[in-house]
Amino acid sequence: MTAADPCFLTVAEAASLIAAKQLSPVELTRAYLDRIERLNGTLHAYVRVLHDQALTAARMATEEISAGHYRGPLHGVPIGLKDIYDTAGVPTEGGSKLCLGRIPASDATTTTLLKKAGAILLGKLTTWEFAIGGTAFDTPFPPARNPWNVERDPAGSSSGSGAAVAAGLCAAAMGSDTGGSIRWPAAWCGLAGLKPSYGRVSRAGIMPLSFSLDHAGPLTWTVEDAAIMLQAVAGHDPRDPASADRPVPDFRAALAAPELRGIRLGVARSMFERDCVASDETRAAFDRSVEVLRGLGASVTEVELPPLALYGAAAYLIARGEGFAIHEKTLRERPEDYGALARDRLMIGAYVRASDMVQAMRRRRMLAEATAAAMAEFDAILLPTVPDAAPLLAELGPYFSSERPPYMRPFNLTGQPALSVCNGFDRLGLPLSLQIVGRCFDDATVLRIGHAYERATPWRERRPQLQ
Amino acid sequence: MADSIEAQFTAETVLLALRLLPGQESSLAAAYVALREMVALVGADYPMEVEPAHVFLPIAGAERRP
Repeated sequence: MTAADPCFLTVAEAASLIAAKQLSPVELTRAYLDRIERLNGTLHAYVRVLHDQALTAARMATEEISAGHYRGPLHGVPIGLKDIYDTAGVPTEGGSKLCLGRIPASDATTTTLLKKAGAILLGKLTTWEFAIGGTAFDTPFPPARNPWNVERDPAGSSSGSGAAVAAGLCAAAMGSDTGGSIRWPAAWCGLAGLKPSYGRVSRAGIMPLSFSLDHAGPLTWTVEDAAIMLQAVAGHDPRDPASADRPVPDFRAALAAPELRGIRLGVARSMFERDCVASDETRAAFDRSVEVLRGLGASVTEVELPPLALYGAAAYLIARGEGFAIHEKTLRERPEDYGALARDRLMIGAYVRASDMVQAMRRRRMLAEATAAAMAEFDAILLPTVPDAAPLLAELGPYFSSERPPYMRPFNLTGQPALSVCNGFDRLGLPLSLQIVGRCFDDATVLRIGHAYERATPWRERRPQLQ
Repeated sequence: MADSIEAQFTAETVLLALRLLPGQESSLAAAYVALREMVALVGADYPMEVEPAHVFLPIAGAERRP
């Protein structure tokens, strides 16, 4: 481990050096700010860089640590927040003209918790408009670019979070996931992206899109870093009515077991070989991943889940109904201030009838019960995160994700923890991904499996080449 | 209710008093067709006792939220 390239240290590595006083938070923060200055004009990962504020916080962290008041593994570590996370006194604009100049009076609960853990906020990260507007060119901020190939989409809606972590523009970032918006950019940017269990992480102070499908979680270079971030933000929050009052385990300690003996994994093959056939390279990488996990001692058999389209349909109706409820007033009063994609994707929710919504919620319950029953024999389910590697920005159409639906929405519907990890690269050098889905509130097992996989494979040694 | 799905979309748009911007009608109409397909897929032919996912996590042993 070396501090020669501090922007490519993992959170865990940076924390070790900071704790040992071999790396100062000021030095680390300056390195990131310099790199952002060089690359953000190309990648558009940040919509706002908090240069002075970050350096002030870094100086304070350095002083605290020097005085012996070390808070833990995020102390002095620079991070970014998707620009739907409220930050007191700092604009939080949701990627929309409608919110330009919006300055929250208080922090999101997660923002507060990360600051309390000592993290340094480098800035606010690009998001799809209101986390739904797709990769768009008619909103106030240009879309983020994929660091593995800047002509390609980093995915979204946490697009800046994915691009920034992959490009070494922050050590870790927070995103949100209503239908895959953490795991999707993690997949296309070659990261670990965790959608925690519904209720595990507070959404208070994060712009909502769909109350019963929204999740907050981290995007990081490694699974260990995701565990560190989750530890900081997990826990009950009375400000979020969906927040669960359940014990928070030591997620990092759960990573200690190097093998997976006794772990039972189910491959949801029908989803990516029948319902939406994944690319040859995605399926080949998946099969290789299964062999790695078997080699670590896990037992792997197949699990049959309900059809992907059924989960997708129920999730779509609920998301659109809830989204329209949130945006109805502004859609009626200022429709021209939305980007075209966000406007259509939100306005279609007006046509979801009350009975449609109730039937979708009935279907949701049936699907959640069927999924739980299928998981009775398993500790986790395996499937790819998405069917394909990142496409060219020029190839994206408005119905891209419905033509090739990713494999993530089922677990927004059921609330299960789901982790995307990099499981190789295609012939163009673009990241491929594996999704690991656990039982509700068993985030620790998901992290354990992902960490063991990462340690047994070489994928964390490769970084995007950016000049 | 109007006969064709296009007419149904137009009728509902009027009923909902939505103001569509120039060019939006065609893209929203396409989305409407997809929406009705999803409604059909979700279905409505459930036994009477199937309740919606009120609390969302029907996992055996899971604690109910306050």
